[in-house]
Amino acid sequence: MCSEPSAAVVETPAARCLLCNVGCPVRIRKGGPDRYLPDSPARDAGYAGLCGRGSVLADLLDHPDRLLNASRCTAGGCQEIGLAAAMQEAAAALEEKGAAPVSGFMETGAVPFSGRAKGTVPFSQRREKGTAPFAAAIIADGNLDLDTLAAAGRLAASVGAAWSVFVPPSDAGLVHGLDAGGSAFIGPEDLADADAILIVGNAYATHPVAAHWVFEARKARPRMPVLVMADASGVTADYATSVFQPRLRSGEAACAVAAILTGQTDALGPEARTLATWRDRLRGCKSLAIVVGAELDYADARALGTEVARLAAELGAKVCPLTTYGAAWGAVRLAASAGAVPIETILAEAPRTLLVMGVDLDSSLGRAAVGPALDKVVNLIYAGPMVNRTSRRASLMLPAAFPFEVAGRALLGPGREVRFGPLLRPPAGVPTIREILAALGSSADEKGAAPVSGFMETGAVPFSAKGTVPFSQRREKGTAPFADGPGAPGEGLLVAPAQDPFHFADGNLTRSAAWPQIVRPRPVLAMAEIDAQAAGLVDRGRAVVEGPGGSVEVEVAAGSTQRPGQARISAAFAEVRDMFGWTWDGRRPGEPVRARVRKV
Amino acid sequence: MPETTTTAAVEKRIMLDLDRCIECKSCMAACYYGHGRITGLSFVDIGPALLPVVCRQCSAPACVEVCPAKAMKRDARGVVARGIFMCRGCGSCVRACPFGMLSLELAGHQVAKCDLCEDRLAQGLAPRCAAVCPTGALRFATAAEIEGEGLVVLGGRIVGDHPIQRR
Repeated sequence: MCSEPSAAVVETPAARCLLCNVGCPVRIRKGGPDRYLPDSPARDAGYAGLCGRGSVLADLLDHPDRLLNASRCTAGGCQEIGLAAAMQEAAAALEEKGAAPVSGFMETGAVPFSGRAKGTVPFSQRREKGTAPFAAAIIADGNLDLDTLAAAGRLAASVGAAWSVFVPPSDAGLVHGLDAGGSAFIGPEDLADADAILIVGNAYATHPVAAHWVFEARKARPRMPVLVMADASGVTADYATSVFQPRLRSGEAACAVAAILTGQTDALGPEARTLATWRDRLRGCKSLAIVVGAELDYADARALGTEVARLAAELGAKVCPLTTYGAAWGAVRLAASAGAVPIETILAEAPRTLLVMGVDLDSSLGRAAVGPALDKVVNLIYAGPMVNRTSRRASLMLPAAFPFEVAGRALLGPGREVRFGPLLRPPAGVPTIREILAALGSSADEKGAAPVSGFMETGAVPFSAKGTVPFSQRREKGTAPFADGPGAPGEGLLVAPAQDPFHFADGNLTRSAAWPQIVRPRPVLAMAEIDAQAAGLVDRGRAVVEGPGGSVEVEVAAGSTQRPGQARISAAFAEVRDMFGWTWDGRRPGEPVRARVRKV
Repeated sequence: MPETTTTAAVEKRIMLDLDRCIECKSCMAACYYGHGRITGLSFVDIGPALLPVVCRQCSAPACVEVCPAKAMKRDARGVVARGIFMCRGCGSCVRACPFGMLSLELAGHQVAKCDLCEDRLAQGLAPRCAAVCPTGALRFATAAEIEGEGLVVLGGRIVGDHPIQRR
């Protein structure tokens, strides 16, 4: 094998990988006419390495699904049109009021952005009384840089449209929950100084580079406790000094964190008794760190964040939050302070014109959650770097640069604002999303001083107060919806989404970072041996999982780490997310569902 | 075989610290992109863990002995590499390797083979897999350097805190 030629190396300014909020610096060099290498000849890559996802950024630059031209699409197919003409059409559509006038909705700010919503109120009734539905709306991907997001907000204001920022529900919930708690925060690099670490979630799998500093801490203090609350089949659990595996019902992780403080573990099962000992082990530590990961689609992430903040305050710990969107923290704060509405509100209204920037809603949330609404949109305009399931619905497609092809700034976490350069410039003729917004009428600020000052330094997301009731108490009052307990015979398994890097496949702007082909990403169902035997399945055999939203074929991983009656399935596949059949009024994105498993 | 820019013997080898590998496959991705979308590194499932395996750069390599096209060569520095234009993808080296480090899955009719990242080696840098490894599980070092850190070297290429006790 021969390494790529090192001649004709083109160095670019430092960029950041925002595929998670570790935010590794990344560089790239050109190793041929169409080959880019995620590398830096001058030094080793990244902070302390670079995970596979970061390496994949290079793969996206010349991806065959890259959008390079504007297209007008009808049922008969798509036809390329000039970018200027497409911009004009998009601007006209956004200005079009249609039958539904825009109301004073934007000023209320009373709708919670995310978190465990009050699922009892139909979404069609959630709008403020007396307001009419809006005619136009904008949904922006939360991993865009902050100034681009601010420009989206300004465009929405100027054309009288509602706007929303898409951040994975788990990330948004975690940010809200933690921001409300007033915790002391640290970045992953500070973990090296900890003398004890509590990890909530499978952090090593979802944030491999963050694991570096945990290993550094253990190298300095070999006997330090590393307590892990996560799925026992995950790699993080392999390195724990003590593990607690929450059941897959919604809210279990938050309740378990609360139980560390209260010692009340009866409702969590007999194995939760270990939690009662954790508080004593952690209390004596001088530099305790709590790592909490927004695992993909934790439906209870907000409650989890609230409980982690409470625990940190009690134990004097510092919190290291890990989000799957690198820019999630800034996006959520900006959305809250700049009048954005929850994405479900926009979907409930089904506006006449919808501009979607960068996010594949169908793959991220599942077709049941977004399909009915998007089917009603008359003018669906998609602006983004790649073709995806949402862009295929669009009547107008605009090519746009990847977020890592522009310079910008992001808030990786509290106090972790970063400025970054482009990895490479976008292809000729492909505008940045900020340029598209300016062309559509956003009052672009050339100096990049977006009107978003003030929120970067504070930890106050405006509407976070509702999360202050301890989750354990809410549970007792029966106000929090929970998934079912052990099912009756024939009801199927309780299946929850899981994320691990092996099965990382497709999705929206961020999740489109696929693994190299050689890995052959495929969805896997991790289930108990006894359940597999009952269904006539064997380890590594094939099975079909039938859920509320459809069915999906998976590979079976039978073992002892999953509890009987419960299973986890790789969630990074669009068809898997469809299978869950998540909706806004029923099972919200991230919640486990009952599903039947049968042999292929 | 790639043109060599130094003839100094390469004493260092890629070592795997069993107590640090989190199976993230960063090494595989880095190798894949650094070598024209062919990876010379593979993973072996040992049950409790899925571990990366890399060519040991043998001093008397069987793959070189059996290669009918003379594509496999061991250069003066001790690096066993494959000439991309000479490899026919016959798979003889794959069958000959006593450690199973070569894969019969051909990419472009060629067998993938670790060359310790020739371009980086020439600049005095570690191979890509070791450079990107987030936890430091893959190391580019000599056995003496590893043992100097108080770690145990097992079988020449495997490293651990303790010869028996794992994790």
